Amino acid sequence: MGLMAWSWAKLGWGPSGADLPIQDLHFTVLDTELTGLDARRDDIISIGAVRMQGSRIELGSAFQELVKPRAILDGRTVVIHGITPTELEARPSIGEVLTAFRDYTVGTVLVGHCLSIDLAFLNRDARRLKAESFRNPAVDTLSLYGWLRQRSLAHPAFALELPAPSLFDLAEAFEIEVEAAHSALGDAYVTAQLFQRFLPLLRQAGVESLRGLRRVGNPRRQLANLTAQEGHTHF
Amino acid sequence: MLIDETVRFLSQVPPFQFLEERLLRKLVQSLTLAFHPKGEVILHQDGPVSDHLQIIKRGGVKISLRPEGSGDEVVVDYREQGETFGLVSLMGGHQRTTIVAVQDTTCYLLPKERFNELVVSHPAITEYLLQFHLTKYADMTSREVQGKSLFLESSDHLLFTAQVGEICQRFTTVVEADTTIRQTARRMAEERQSAALVVGPSGEPIGILTDSDFRTRVVAAGQPIDGPVSRVMSHPVVSVDEEVPCFEVVLKMLQFDIEHVAVTREGAIRGVVTNHDFLVLQGRSPLAFSEDIEHQTSLEGLAPVSRKAMSIIGVLLREGTRATNIIRIISELNDRVVRKVLELAEREFGPPPVPYCWLALGSEGRKEQTFRTDQDNALVYADVSELQKPRVADYFRRFTVYLRNGLVQCGFEACPANYMASNPDWCQPISEWKRYFSTWISEPTPEAVLKSLIFFDFRPLHGDESLALDLREHFERLIPDYPAFLGFLANMLVRNRPPLGFFGGVAVERSGEHKDGLNLKIKAVAPLVDIARLFTLEKGIRQASTMDRLEALRGGTSLVSELVDDLEYAFEFVTLLRVHHQHRQLEAGQPIDNVIRLDTLSNLERQSLKKAFRLILKVQDQVMDRYKSFII
Repeated sequence: MGLMAWSWAKLGWGPSGADLPIQDLHFTVLDTELTGLDARRDDIISIGAVRMQGSRIELGSAFQELVKPRAILDGRTVVIHGITPTELEARPSIGEVLTAFRDYTVGTVLVGHCLSIDLAFLNRDARRLKAESFRNPAVDTLSLYGWLRQRSLAHPAFALELPAPSLFDLAEAFEIEVEAAHSALGDAYVTAQLFQRFLPLLRQAGVESLRGLRRVGNPRRQLANLTAQEGHTHF
Repeated sequence: MLIDETVRFLSQVPPFQFLEERLLRKLVQSLTLAFHPKGEVILHQDGPVSDHLQIIKRGGVKISLRPEGSGDEVVVDYREQGETFGLVSLMGGHQRTTIVAVQDTTCYLLPKERFNELVVSHPAITEYLLQFHLTKYADMTSREVQGKSLFLESSDHLLFTAQVGEICQRFTTVVEADTTIRQTARRMAEERQSAALVVGPSGEPIGILTDSDFRTRVVAAGQPIDGPVSRVMSHPVVSVDEEVPCFEVVLKMLQFDIEHVAVTREGAIRGVVTNHDFLVLQGRSPLAFSEDIEHQTSLEGLAPVSRKAMSIIGVLLREGTRATNIIRIISELNDRVVRKVLELAEREFGPPPVPYCWLALGSEGRKEQTFRTDQDNALVYADVSELQKPRVADYFRRFTVYLRNGLVQCGFEACPANYMASNPDWCQPISEWKRYFSTWISEPTPEAVLKSLIFFDFRPLHGDESLALDLREHFERLIPDYPAFLGFLANMLVRNRPPLGFFGGVAVERSGEHKDGLNLKIKAVAPLVDIARLFTLEKGIRQASTMDRLEALRGGTSLVSELVDDLEYAFEFVTLLRVHHQHRQLEAGQPIDNVIRLDTLSNLERQSLKKAFRLILKVQDQVMDRYKSFII
């Protein structure tokens, strides 16, 4: 049994794991910084993450790695604001960082804001390196937001008139202090706090297990959730 | 960055702020961040115990309990940003209260195992958390305040940190009482001393003779120099233990108007300290001002000196002087000014026709004046025959009007409620004053009690003190016979409940009252003063100041004898807060008041203030119980 399968089993995942209560789950809340959004040419330049046990954020658990963009290896110039090519050169390669990050995420549910983008880059690089891809259960805070908004909860944050609110729009609406915006770890920490605020609301709405969480937080459903809301307002 | 942010937060939160940053950083690694939406019941009374100490990062919680067999919820406390909860349950293994988030609340959670380690490695942390004694707060608070003045290069600092033993002249001339004046002078010259201590048979200091005494008492008075030194020495001599802080000695010098104080070690003479020693130690001293006041011979000269004297408070504050000592120093200086004006008045109008005594009332009587000082005074004079009465009354009328105007010139505003000797009601012969007190005590009404309180804090400041003593003995005899009087005082005391909800201001939505701030004088200082007064009157204790009163209650039979430490620290703390607040206003050129805003207080200050309020509530409850039948 591989390490991952073993921990899945230990956590009671697999067919029956879906019934685990949210409080018993471990989460990796992550954010990546990219050189751009084009999956054909852009790269991950840093990964930041924090772990949560149930609804509690573990402050000592931070994962933060800077990555040497592949473009450097290809001899292309990469211009990143405030970072010199020499500094980029000194960073570890994506291969090393991915290995470390996979170890970090073992046995956890991945959480992120617009997570499908992060996952697309992570798995693209995993494929290129012929490494195992990230197949952890995944939950997107934007999908959760859209779903919760459909339930027209009383919280003022759900009255936001934005079709696809950014992480920082939501942080502001939920009164989360943003200390270091646009660093991968800083954004992951904000995302974790946002997710933390969603959990009691989800419980109120009857979402109590991993199964429910995956259904309403499906990274591919963020648009569906948000547009359903648009439709709803027209009734 | 998560860590930095959290370290930054905790480094402003007691008791964690007292940890070294390295340890704090390590501790933060083990924390988790939790979110409690508004209304969440975080811990249930009699439910599972807490496995974390929760430190509120943002928001607030309400702690309440339902007493057994009663359906009513009792709110025990509100906690807010920077405060903790879950400790008792963490340590005691039983959850006795229900804790509910009254706002969306984020908390840092310190796990039980880490907490237990901390208990072992840093007993002070537990002590702090467990303290329901103000002692620790006050010590740490004063450290915080002192920390603020560390940048100060001034050597004045020494005055408040050094013990008198460290600066006193180690060697001094010591002579027996029957030594001749000539021999004494010779010894002093040989030993290059400016003073000689005169000791009794067992070596205890009984008197002192200084250079200037030789001038005034020997040469100018034509004393035979072969007489015994005991004939011309000053006595009794004021002596202090070598461990007493220097500034306390300065206070004594001010109080007794002396320049030399004997310093002893375990009762035996160790040396002498002079005001000169202190003046050398520091540039601007209370003594320097005091001398300046003393040297004035006219109102015109006195007024600017008196006004300038207040500038000393800034120095004292920066030095981290205990606030209760600052107000004593202020009062000593003010006393000097008042005495000086009285001297000037006596010169202006000629000697008084009958003995009189000038009484300081209220805060002045208790030696608890802060910056804004208005006049609260009265005058009692000896009884006179009907025939003399108009002439005597006329003298004191002119005398007291001169006093009022003179003091206004010196910066003491007239009392808006007209509690001044210049008001004929408060300038009366002793028999009339006795009648006043009899009426206040035997026929108390809420209004009369409130009005008369200020008089029960009188202190003789100048003149014939036996008049004041007579008056005091008079009312002390009456009090036990009229229990309703103390009952009224008790009633008044318990009605002024401290606003614990003030702190809920952030955590709980409250209307109106404390939105703009809190009147420290009314809500924090007054209840403590009232507590001390009630119990000293009850026990016939004569001390004038709140601190001295509390000290006198220590170990006695009164309700508060066990709470003296806590009450003293509470009083110390609220006084400090008040003096600081007013000093800031003074520096900023703003009008001085007693209203503080919650958001201007540090976490530590808030918590200390809250502890003081809790203590007041506790005493009020006990008072209510004791004086049940009088509580309306």
